[in-house]
Amino acid sequence: MSVPNSLDELIAALRCLPGVGPKSAQRMAYHLLQHERDGAQRLSRALLAALQNLRHCTRCNAFAESEICARCAAPRRDASLLCVVETPADLNMMEQSQLYNGLYYCLMGRIEPLGGVGPRELQIERLIVRASGGEVQEVILATNFTNEGEATAHYLAEVLRARGLKVSRIARGLPVGAELEYTDAGTIGQALVERRPL
Amino acid sequence: MTQKQRVANAAAYVLHALPYRETSLIVELFTRSHGRIGAVAKGAKRPRSALRGVLMEFQPLAASWSGGGELKTLTHAEWKGGQPMLAGRALLLGYYLNELLLNLLPREDAHVELFDAYARSIAELGAGGAAAPGLRRFERILLAELGYLPLLTETAEGGVALDPAGEYVFVPDRGALPAAGQSAHLVRYRGAVLNAIAADDYSDPAVLQQGRQLMRTLIDQVLDGRMLNSRRIFFEMQEP
Repeated sequence: MSVPNSLDELIAALRCLPGVGPKSAQRMAYHLLQHERDGAQRLSRALLAALQNLRHCTRCNAFAESEICARCAAPRRDASLLCVVETPADLNMMEQSQLYNGLYYCLMGRIEPLGGVGPRELQIERLIVRASGGEVQEVILATNFTNEGEATAHYLAEVLRARGLKVSRIARGLPVGAELEYTDAGTIGQALVERRPL
Repeated sequence: MTQKQRVANAAAYVLHALPYRETSLIVELFTRSHGRIGAVAKGAKRPRSALRGVLMEFQPLAASWSGGGELKTLTHAEWKGGQPMLAGRALLLGYYLNELLLNLLPREDAHVELFDAYARSIAELGAGGAAAPGLRRFERILLAELGYLPLLTETAEGGVALDPAGEYVFVPDRGALPAAGQSAHLVRYRGAVLNAIAADDYSDPAVLQQGRQLMRTLIDQVLDGRMLNSRRIFFEMQEP
């Protein structure tokens, strides 16, 4: 049985989504064409519009519709604080805490020594330029507490400190409301290693 | 051919983990009993997975898996404790060790001595202090275990014990030869330095410096043109 060309192309295109193999791609394609033609129209328009309109905010590097995103342009935010996160999803979590009123810089990735992603690939130079504009007093490193996040934080701390900036790292330890009895030993061990004087 | 295995609580380290499907990981483990193995950790990225946060590089684990193919199924992994997370420079050096093993160690080939050397190096990196002697020792044991280490205490041809005051060069695929008459491009090593490298005795800074040079040359030969990402990024990160 030969599959029509356009259908074939659609199935192949859907496979670029994470976690979508040939079977899922075929299922999605048939679903869109048979039962969800309006949805398919909307999807194609939204995808095209996003590709055309979205770019990286020149201040925070996250996705924005304009040169500077609304968050970076907001006058009430404290421009002396710059929080560095790995992804836009991390940025959203920081915002949800409602305890931070500074600005952000989104790396759109992390240093991956085995994956071949280094300072150059991450365009760390852009962050350095952003942070050394004179406005920023403190850079808060909020990369993940994975080995790659730690390697990224280590590198950023070195280069930013060398430029006279105050650098801090978000704290690591037990989750809020946690009881020792029900916490994993790895977290407790690291919390002990990094204990702080009172 | 790999036989169907069911292994419980093997001493192991994660060398590398890659995302697989929506919520799983493919992990490369270095185990004491079975060498390097690849395994799928199903659901390891789910928020409530028991494996979440456990499958970290540079941490001693007790790993259980089953399966007979190239990729096993990780059934359980537990943190064994006693090892702080690597930080700063030590973390980058840890990645170098992992990449060496990923590149040079074939799967399912047990090397107990190499595993113990790795565990010792990771513990030393975690404890801080001078890293270089430990790295050179690890490199020497890695090359020796995989059969790539030339004799460091006698000449390649004739098997004559090295003269501590004599000068030697390493000719690729042959080994240590008296320096007289050899190409001027080859690095000269004193016999005493080579004896010290063979004994992992790096108390003399000159031995450390030449040991680094020798191991680098030998490892590059084995890598046969393959580049180490961790090495490139390590040097990129040293030049702020």
